[in-house]
Amino acid sequence: MGTISLEKRDSLYWLGRYTERVYTTLKAFYDYYDQMIDREADAYKNLCQRLDIPNIYESEEDFIHRFLFDSNDPNSIFTSLNRAYDNGILLRNEITSDSLSYLQMALDIYGASSHSDVPTMALLPVQDYLLAFWACMNDNVWDQRARSIIKCGRYVERLDLYFRLSFPTKDIERTLCKMTPRLKQCGMAYDQEVLDILYARVREKLLHTPGWRRECARLLMSLITE
Amino acid sequence: MKDIIAHGDNINVLLARYGVKFGIYKNGTFHEQLFPFDPIPRVITAEDFDYLERGLKQRVDALNLFLADVYSQKNIIRDGIVPEDFVFSSSGYLPECEGITPPAGIYSHISGIDLVQAKDGTWYVLEDNLRIPSGASYPLIARDLERKASPLAFREYPVRDNRDYAALLKETMDNVNLGGINVILTPGRYNAAFFEHSYLAEKTDSVLAMPNDLFVQDCKLYYRDDHGQKQRVGAVYRRQSDEFLDPCTFRADSLIGVPNLMAAYRAGNVAIINAPGNGVADDKGIYYFVPKMIRYYLHEEPILNNAPTYLPMYEEDRNFVLENLERLVVKDVAEAGGYGVVFGNKMSEQELADWKALIQREPRRFIAQEVIDFRDLEIIDEGKRVMRKADLRAFVLSGAETRVWASGLTRFSRNPDSFIVNSSQGGGFKDTWVLSR
Repeated sequence: MGTISLEKRDSLYWLGRYTERVYTTLKAFYDYYDQMIDREADAYKNLCQRLDIPNIYESEEDFIHRFLFDSNDPNSIFTSLNRAYDNGILLRNEITSDSLSYLQMALDIYGASSHSDVPTMALLPVQDYLLAFWACMNDNVWDQRARSIIKCGRYVERLDLYFRLSFPTKDIERTLCKMTPRLKQCGMAYDQEVLDILYARVREKLLHTPGWRRECARLLMSLITE
Repeated sequence: MKDIIAHGDNINVLLARYGVKFGIYKNGTFHEQLFPFDPIPRVITAEDFDYLERGLKQRVDALNLFLADVYSQKNIIRDGIVPEDFVFSSSGYLPECEGITPPAGIYSHISGIDLVQAKDGTWYVLEDNLRIPSGASYPLIARDLERKASPLAFREYPVRDNRDYAALLKETMDNVNLGGINVILTPGRYNAAFFEHSYLAEKTDSVLAMPNDLFVQDCKLYYRDDHGQKQRVGAVYRRQSDEFLDPCTFRADSLIGVPNLMAAYRAGNVAIINAPGNGVADDKGIYYFVPKMIRYYLHEEPILNNAPTYLPMYEEDRNFVLENLERLVVKDVAEAGGYGVVFGNKMSEQELADWKALIQREPRRFIAQEVIDFRDLEIIDEGKRVMRKADLRAFVLSGAETRVWASGLTRFSRNPDSFIVNSSQGGGFKDTWVLSR
């Protein structure tokens, strides 16, 4: 392809972000769901707080259903998957029909899972399809820059969620290291100083102060400058 | 054949997987839905296809000559073959295209000709679509999936491969490309045929462009990248209607056009596929004159038949229509997609009277045709084989030579009492198998 328009670049970047958001948020959801089984009633409130989304849910059941499946809730995982699809469908000839088909299947099975008695089981293939989607794109997208933009979006989103959800520092550092070459290859303007600060904060290890992850999540928002 | 029918559900699963959908607006809201696929293919024998191929090439060549004539010398009008007011009162006639000769002199690069086969086997042309005929992508992807789902069927039957459509389309674009990349210009994600736009872009290795991606500078069309660099566009296969193509020339309120595209086209710096202004030749009223065009331009007898058609603007025809309305089908020449079509045999006494008054008031607005009792095709409906009305959209590509794609979109009505096969009105589709022997 070679030439990428501004709109396509945005779609590539947000395709990466939204697919990662679905994947990692689902993983996080399973952890919190597990806590809710043990009647830790505040677990979902804690998740809302960490994700900075308003707690509009009336109960655990309401949260489980709406956070997973409500397409009118802008913060639901289903909405994120729909946004991923909205971006993906604009990119058929960049990412190929084969790649897009995995996103389509993820969306179809996600929609069908809302009727399941055990949505956590029914949704497992969604993560499988997302992994297949990324692998297929990695294999089929020959334009290195297009690939890098998607991956840059993915790792920015992953970092953001890892910071917010207090993932282990080693996972955060790995993601930062994975993101950096993609950031340089994707051709988007970024703030090197912000990147340096992120590395410094993550690598402080024993010197970590309370709230350092939140501070990093805030910094991350100013990494991409265009 | 049993094999492919048995795998019909698998093929529909695969079509869903690949997002083979079309969009539809209901009450102002956009919905995407799957285009129902029926596994029993329409089979066209080699002899029938030879006949259709000759007739379709002849028809499209004549239509291209008509367009070249209408926008330049107008000999066909001067010689009294087509009435002047019929051309100039057509909503598809664009005075802005007067005097423009498109690259290679081709106006209709991709023509979709709608045909039906009567019960006696005679083929009739129902409609010519020379603006932005859609639908080729559906049998194209369906064939690919059929071969995956049911490979043995294709070993057994001598079916001509239809997967060359992308190559034909690319050659058609390359033939008129004036230097630069090929672009498929889509109005956007919420266009009814967006699947087709993106799929054809992928298959032809063209750039799928949104209107904002393109701009005109010094009468040349460019594609703009995310760093503001530009790349020359040599051919643009646009998928929006003429009136929205260029807000500086046509509708000023168009948000899905490219400002000054017509200036670049007029200057001979970019090919527009299909050419603007083609609507004058696929007007339902002009359809009546296509056999006359063939005789006039090619000095040949038409190979394909028109459905018997009456033009109420002629007194003799009008009288006939008014006397026989209850057995005719009336079509509004300004409508498309199966809309504006009414059958006399479905009208009450009052409706017949109202329609007669309307036809007398606005005779130029309508054509009337004999209802062709076209051949039903078998489809699978809830596991049973049933017969339904079906048509065929054949695709003719005009490049260095005129070629007929050895396939086509067979659309069928899912309603047992309906002749309307359009996808927007609930119809489904079949693959079209052309046999090689």
